[in-house]
Amino acid sequence: MAERPDRWIGVALDRQIKPGSSNPAIVGGYAIAVWRPETGPANVWEDRCPHRGMRLSFGFVRDGRLRCIYHGWGYEPGGHCAFIPAHPDLAPPKTICANVYPSEERYGIVWTNLCETPNAHLPDVGDDQGWQSIRSVYVKRPIAAVKGGVASFDWGGGRAEEIEDGVAFVRSDTAGLSLLIAIQPVDESKTGLHVVAKGDGAKDAKGRLAWATRLERLRDAIEAQS
Amino acid sequence: MALKLYDYSLSGSCYKVRLLLDFLDLEYERQPVGFYPEREHRTETFRAINPLAQIPVLEDDGIRLRDAQAILCHLANKYDKSGLWLPRQPDLFGPIMMWVMFASGELMAASAARLHDLLGYDLDIKTARRNAHFAFRILDDHLTRREIEGGTWIAGDHPTIADVACFPYTALSNDGGIGLEDYPALRNWLRSFMRLPKFDAMSGISEFA
Amino acid sequence: MAVTTDRAALNEWVACGWPEKIAPGGGYRTVLLGQEIEVHRIAANSFEAFERNDRGELGRKLPVQIKYCCIFTTLGEPTRPLPKIPEFEEPDRRITACGSVGVHTSPFRIIENFLDMAHFSFVHTDILGAPERTEVLAYKTEHRKDVDEIWAVDCQFYQPAASKASKGGQMTHYAYRVMSPFSVMLYKNVFDDPARNDAICLFVQPVGETECLAHMPLALIDRESALTSIVDFQQTIFAQDRVILENQRPALLPLDPTIELPTRADASSIAFRRWLKAKNFQFGVYEKKAA
Repeated sequence: MAERPDRWIGVALDRQIKPGSSNPAIVGGYAIAVWRPETGPANVWEDRCPHRGMRLSFGFVRDGRLRCIYHGWGYEPGGHCAFIPAHPDLAPPKTICANVYPSEERYGIVWTNLCETPNAHLPDVGDDQGWQSIRSVYVKRPIAAVKGGVASFDWGGGRAEEIEDGVAFVRSDTAGLSLLIAIQPVDESKTGLHVVAKGDGAKDAKGRLAWATRLERLRDAIEAQS
Repeated sequence: MALKLYDYSLSGSCYKVRLLLDFLDLEYERQPVGFYPEREHRTETFRAINPLAQIPVLEDDGIRLRDAQAILCHLANKYDKSGLWLPRQPDLFGPIMMWVMFASGELMAASAARLHDLLGYDLDIKTARRNAHFAFRILDDHLTRREIEGGTWIAGDHPTIADVACFPYTALSNDGGIGLEDYPALRNWLRSFMRLPKFDAMSGISEFA
Repeated sequence: MAVTTDRAALNEWVACGWPEKIAPGGGYRTVLLGQEIEVHRIAANSFEAFERNDRGELGRKLPVQIKYCCIFTTLGEPTRPLPKIPEFEEPDRRITACGSVGVHTSPFRIIENFLDMAHFSFVHTDILGAPERTEVLAYKTEHRKDVDEIWAVDCQFYQPAASKASKGGQMTHYAYRVMSPFSVMLYKNVFDDPARNDAICLFVQPVGETECLAHMPLALIDRESALTSIVDFQQTIFAQDRVILENQRPALLPLDPTIELPTRADASSIAFRRWLKAKNFQFGVYEKKAA
């Protein structure tokens, strides 16, 4: 599996991690569960319950806790196991803990950092307000090819610039918006792109739909190259 | 009882019919068919009921129907007084039927992958999984656009037989070694479906949405 | 797939099919511990099995036993016979195979899941367990050294619909028996006959370290249900477990108790892992590699 570099990687659009849901994602070959309680921020954990290894992305959310689908063990957002249904009166030992990665929601994207000693700052493109989700696409190509495709794509008259490793930014005055593209290495042959936009060109559903369709074309174009 | 369903618990196609029967609050007689390992559906007796040797089959007051999609249309047409499960408005009827046929067409690659992994069917699993991913991508792209438009369901602003037809083999994708990591809109739609009143799970789908 | 070199695994009797899988005069191929084999049904009750190489040539003839609705063979020299399960001789029982179900995981994950009760309320909801009655009461585990089997006894769990024959909820009493590393069975009290137990067996055919076929013969007391319904019920239960089994990580079974954290309800899993460790199994187990 890949190294776990010290940087924030976008893993989902925050709008698509719905309240009360747990979702699977793979980052550099590492399986993570991205889950959100009924209210509150998204969490990013290793996709594995410490009890018998069941993937937590299959779990369900009840009363603010992520419940493993195998034996129903209930985990608080901090990662601690708070409830073991087989022993309902037992306070679970504090040692029973899901493996929690740092996570943040910013610019409409859920970010995580899988590094063992994370020090990096979140990408900074200014004010958090006003960013609209467009969509995520998953491209069946390695990250280098996808970055190349992003760089050469016509973003409504603008060109994407990689402002830091794995984060691209586009400004298009013609299209009336800016776009932020978080690039997620899934594994050696697949890469995710999570795209948000800010400006007039993204303020209504019609504009966002047009961009979502364009991103399907970007995905298809990169995949068409051998 | 007017309705009789030739059914197998592990069949996703039979599950399409069971779902709508529950949503419509219809009582029915269940006739279990020994699909595996007995392969009862391939016997001469069963071929007299359905020459295609497939399940589900529905008998309704003298009418005998095969093909889960046809059965969904029949049930909605005959029993749904609300008209919500199969609306007749021109802007919805065609799109719904398009996705119902997608469910019996491209989406069945996921059923093939599942039959290979679960019951040892001899088929090209790589092609089945590749085709299933292709179908899931098509449906996820559509549901992504629907999300942007503020919609939850495949067609229209309430669930229809398009959602019922597409749900089972999507929800059972893991049975065929197909994960849904790349399909966020699909996952959210599956959860919305599972939270519908009178929804019932089947093996391979959790009761807890 | 390479054939395993783990003698502990090779020296076990393993299920590789069921008699009705093939008509007399026919044959089929399957894989056992990485070794391709071919099974022929010579006559109604006569079977032969052979190793088969990449070129399709049949090699060494393998020993075969037909018992408990399974075809058993071995690639090695078993040190113990097939287990004794007298329930399969009782004339008033419904006795059936349920085919085989493919599962992508270690055989030992499948055995452990079969031993576990704490998942009933979540995986077999409203059938083998109720969401509001999840407690697993203390039970006992034993290593019966004379037969070298692991047993869990005095197990009980509230079940809304314990079997096809059940007409309501009951407190089911279970005993679990691990007859070999690849085989396990349970005894559960019959709904309206507390003196008898249903016998449900699981013989795991390890195709490879993380790929198996599960064979599930049953010997039940059930005067009313159609055989199709009995098989349907068992398959429904197992297909619910399969989702869990295919999504445990790692797929190989960790024997180190610090990798996965057990509670008291996991007593049979603890006993099973300790037993496997003592047998020095390499096949199907997870060894955390040094960095």
